[in-house]
Amino acid sequence: MLDRILLSINKLPAFPATVQRVTELLKNEDYSVNEIVAVIKFDQAVTANVLKISNSAYFGVRQKIKTIHDAVVYLGQQHLIRAIQTASISKFFTNKGYGDKVSELWEHSVAVALMSQILSRHMYQKENSVLYTAALLHDVGKLVMGEYVQDASKKIFELVNNHAYSFLEAEEEIVGINHADLGGRIAEYWNFPAEIRDAIALHHRPNIIDLEGNPLISLIYLSDQFCLTMGIDGGMDGLAHRGFSEVTKKFQLREADIEKCMLLLLEQLKQANELLGIVDK
Amino acid sequence: MADLVVGISDLKCSGQQSDVIITYALGSCIAVVVYDPMARVGGMLHFMLPDSTLDKNKAAAAPGMFADTGVPLLFKSCYQLGAEKKRLIVKIAGGASILNDADYFRIGQKNITAMRKIFWKNNVLIKAEDTGKNCNRTVKLQLADGKCFVRSSGGAVEEL
Repeated sequence: MLDRILLSINKLPAFPATVQRVTELLKNEDYSVNEIVAVIKFDQAVTANVLKISNSAYFGVRQKIKTIHDAVVYLGQQHLIRAIQTASISKFFTNKGYGDKVSELWEHSVAVALMSQILSRHMYQKENSVLYTAALLHDVGKLVMGEYVQDASKKIFELVNNHAYSFLEAEEEIVGINHADLGGRIAEYWNFPAEIRDAIALHHRPNIIDLEGNPLISLIYLSDQFCLTMGIDGGMDGLAHRGFSEVTKKFQLREADIEKCMLLLLEQLKQANELLGIVDK
Repeated sequence: MADLVVGISDLKCSGQQSDVIITYALGSCIAVVVYDPMARVGGMLHFMLPDSTLDKNKAAAAPGMFADTGVPLLFKSCYQLGAEKKRLIVKIAGGASILNDADYFRIGQKNITAMRKIFWKNNVLIKAEDTGKNCNRTVKLQLADGKCFVRSSGGAVEEL
């Protein structure tokens, strides 16, 4: 089974180059709007979705965005990259993963991405686009694993319910690999930088490597746990994941902080309807 | 038949026999289900956090967010449809936790405790309860007969 799963990574479509090209262009302070528009327009699937989500209250633009030109002008660097990321990544969400509906895993992924920015602002007083990308992709392994895990769900739940396994440990035992690890391999296949790859691969095991090394890992781990707790879990694994209190201690998060972050997420999810809506129900 | 869907921090009540009230994906949140078999009026609350002192403004805007503001509103809303306190049957589900969360992320446990305290203080008995563990749950209430069903992640549908 494991061989088949690993082989199916190579059948995934390549990651759209649009994101990287736009990010490169935006690095130049006096970037040309027309040049960026040209790159985005080239990718029609992404264009349609960028337009849909640009008008989301989440991005807070007052003007009505009707064209890609408007989007480049009004969204600003950070939000433009984020809109393109969201539009590109949503294209891969075409199966149910571990859930009952295609939209469930996407909603979870968007919620974790929004939460990652709430936490980043709380701890570092700024947002972080690399973190946003990694968060949106953290469960990408479930898209490939979904089928196998749905088939093996009886055996997996037997271990979770009666033998004190976490869902991740049960995946390893029954399927031969866990969804986080598999996600890391997909990120590698797509040539994502190591910090994104590791953040995906270790999002349930932030204890494995030095927490100081790559803060993305702990931030995505926490964002994920927050969303699981709120019931925005996108699949059958529910809350059957291990908690590591050293992470909350490291960030000095008190219970009231955690609860306030949850309230913020609830508010932002309402503003982000357009982001949630670009994947088929 | 109409499905009334209760979102996070929301509550719905009905006296329509054909209605089904449903809430999806309770993690640490809790669904409080009430039903008056005489008036055939029922309701459901899906609260997220135990205590409204965290954010008074948000609690005023969305009382269903917290146990201490949501539960009274649920009862009052059912009274308006003809339910009576002494006849209301109360069932609760949810309040799950992450594995080994002894010293943090105790929201599931805190929710369970806060809610029990509210009912105890108000002399209301909880008829049935499916709380704790680490699964998420979907809860359904049929107004026609007051039957309440819970589906846990990885489990079958069971009557509560």
